[in-house]
Amino acid sequence: MSALAWAVVALGVGVVVVRRRSLAVGLVTGQALLLAAVALGEGGSFDAAIAAAALVLRGIRLAALLLFLVRRTRESRPVRAGVAPLARAAAGVALALALIWLIPPIGLDSMAAERATLSLVAIGLVTAATRRATLFQVLGIVLVENGLALAALSLPGSSSLAIELGVAIDLLLIAVVAGVFHERIFAEFGAGDSAALRSLRDN
Amino acid sequence: MTTRELLAILVLVAPLAGILVAAVVPREPLVRAETAVAVVTALAAAAVAVVALAEPGHRDLGRWIVLDPAGGLLVGVIGAVGLASALMSRPFLTGRHASLFRPHRADRIYWATLFAFWAVLLAVPLAGNLGAAWIAIEATTAASALLVGFSGRGRALEAGWKYLILTSLGLGVALLGLLMLEAAAGGGGLETLTWRSLPHTDLNRETALVAYVLLLAGLAAKIGWAPVHNWLPDAHSEAPAPVSALLSAALLPAVLLVAWRSQQALAPTIGERTSRGVLVGFGLVSLAVAVPFLWRPQAWKRLLAYSSLEHMGVIGLGIGFGGPLALAGVAIHIAGHAIAKALGFYAAAPLLAHDPRAAGHAVGGIGRTEPSLGASLGISLGALAGLPPSPLFVSEVLIVAGGFQVGRPWAAAAAAVLLALGFLGLAHALVDTVVGRPRGRDRHPPTGLRSVRTLTAIAVPLLLALTAAALWLPDSAVVDGLLRGLG
Repeated sequence: MSALAWAVVALGVGVVVVRRRSLAVGLVTGQALLLAAVALGEGGSFDAAIAAAALVLRGIRLAALLLFLVRRTRESRPVRAGVAPLARAAAGVALALALIWLIPPIGLDSMAAERATLSLVAIGLVTAATRRATLFQVLGIVLVENGLALAALSLPGSSSLAIELGVAIDLLLIAVVAGVFHERIFAEFGAGDSAALRSLRDN
Repeated sequence: MTTRELLAILVLVAPLAGILVAAVVPREPLVRAETAVAVVTALAAAAVAVVALAEPGHRDLGRWIVLDPAGGLLVGVIGAVGLASALMSRPFLTGRHASLFRPHRADRIYWATLFAFWAVLLAVPLAGNLGAAWIAIEATTAASALLVGFSGRGRALEAGWKYLILTSLGLGVALLGLLMLEAAAGGGGLETLTWRSLPHTDLNRETALVAYVLLLAGLAAKIGWAPVHNWLPDAHSEAPAPVSALLSAALLPAVLLVAWRSQQALAPTIGERTSRGVLVGFGLVSLAVAVPFLWRPQAWKRLLAYSSLEHMGVIGLGIGFGGPLALAGVAIHIAGHAIAKALGFYAAAPLLAHDPRAAGHAVGGIGRTEPSLGASLGISLGALAGLPPSPLFVSEVLIVAGGFQVGRPWAAAAAAVLLALGFLGLAHALVDTVVGRPRGRDRHPPTGLRSVRTLTAIAVPLLLALTAAALWLPDSAVVDGLLRGLG
């Protein structure tokens, strides 16, 4: 469990530093598959099988949607992030350490799962905050949700399958809406670059 | 299943018919069919509100559905504002020029998304557990972000994008808090997260406090509480007017209700004073951040958006104080704010047609060039400023008095000062907008003024009735019901 959890975090760090959108989509899809493995590793119960299936389906659908968007909005060169890759990774690690230090034990199955959850939330927040590319900001949300999926899988006792499915459906809906915006922003400004979205200011 | 639960289910199902209508009904009768569905939904919502408020001592606490006085009030508000927004969508769609979607499909997508937004919005106060409430709130983001960016213009895309990303990340933080609660309770599945079980669950105090702060910080991003309110002025100013009204008058207080329920559910573990203190803190910070923006000359919809920040701060303070006076003030404030704010946003459409500069600049002297439009703007802004006999004046007095009543004199005094400053800012804007010097020379006859006049004629007696009700409310069984919460 702990090795799988840390592998999910390592893939998350990859999303913070890579330049290519398609590679980052591959990394979050890999996370979803690893999370499904975590779910199956929890035991062969019906709930675990459903959770694993939901994670795999969600991961594949997200990957299909995001890769479709990457194809439809090809850029001559990747959108530059405002912060260098190493600085982004350092910020992610620093925020992860701060969260682990600040937040008391959550009560998950293992300390590794708790730390991996908080690390993924931190990395997701840093990705959304430091990447200018709109698609990477969506991936930041997916990273946070993957961290929370790991926490849900590591809850002691049973968790509510209905709630987990609802959360997964919500994430897909958000990704679809973000996709609509990403395409239109690309068409309007010539790049999926959130830095172009700076016209709304107070007088 | 009881009649009350059946009514609640009808409220949740009725707006889904609007999505179906958008998909299958031919173009010609589409608007009439959507209007009919909107009327049925609003009637069902009104029935739920009446049932919940007529028997404030009675509450249904199911796993999935909860019905109490606070939820009933919110369902009534969401139903009324939703109906008005559906009615005002017709002139909006007639006059629209561009869209995020292909022209031949744009109207259908608008209607389907509006009803989807309305449906999940109605689900928020009726959700019987924290998990379902979270899912409904997150779903409102998906639907309403599309509506915010509906015009497809660069500014609307920016507003919609900010709204989508910031509130989704905020809700991610809230979900972390929710999972912490579930873990701290030792699992137990859905039952652990129900509003009926949470207050009785054995939780570690430190963990529950951190989870509560994460929950509230995440929900604050959606409520528009400072300092995580950045999306609010942009989304409210760039969304179509009927959508801005739903966002401000219905969505924000509905999410605030979930914050309130979380406080009620966790107070037995983390302490009444601590849990309420966090709400008071958010309320005061929001008021303090809003006031400087209310003093600046702002474009009309942006001014209303900053007023939303102020009013969500006031409601946060009221539920934070939590005594009978403050809660009576909260009930009046939620209803009065909804009427006045929705009217203000609906009036924005004829205002923009009359003076296109109003999209990006403060307007002046509308009452001189278009008296009836000036009257609508004036009534909306006067009510929002808390100018007597506005019900918001009485509700603000009740909330401040409630602060003193529950032994929070410093917070109440600070709120009184900030409210006075906010009043001065809005009063200045009111004078300038209605009887000030007209700034633009290229003013045109406003379109869609007739429906705004009708809504104004409905809003004025409703606002006055609320003012009268505010004098009776503090000693009523409704406030007893609000005080009892979900216990």
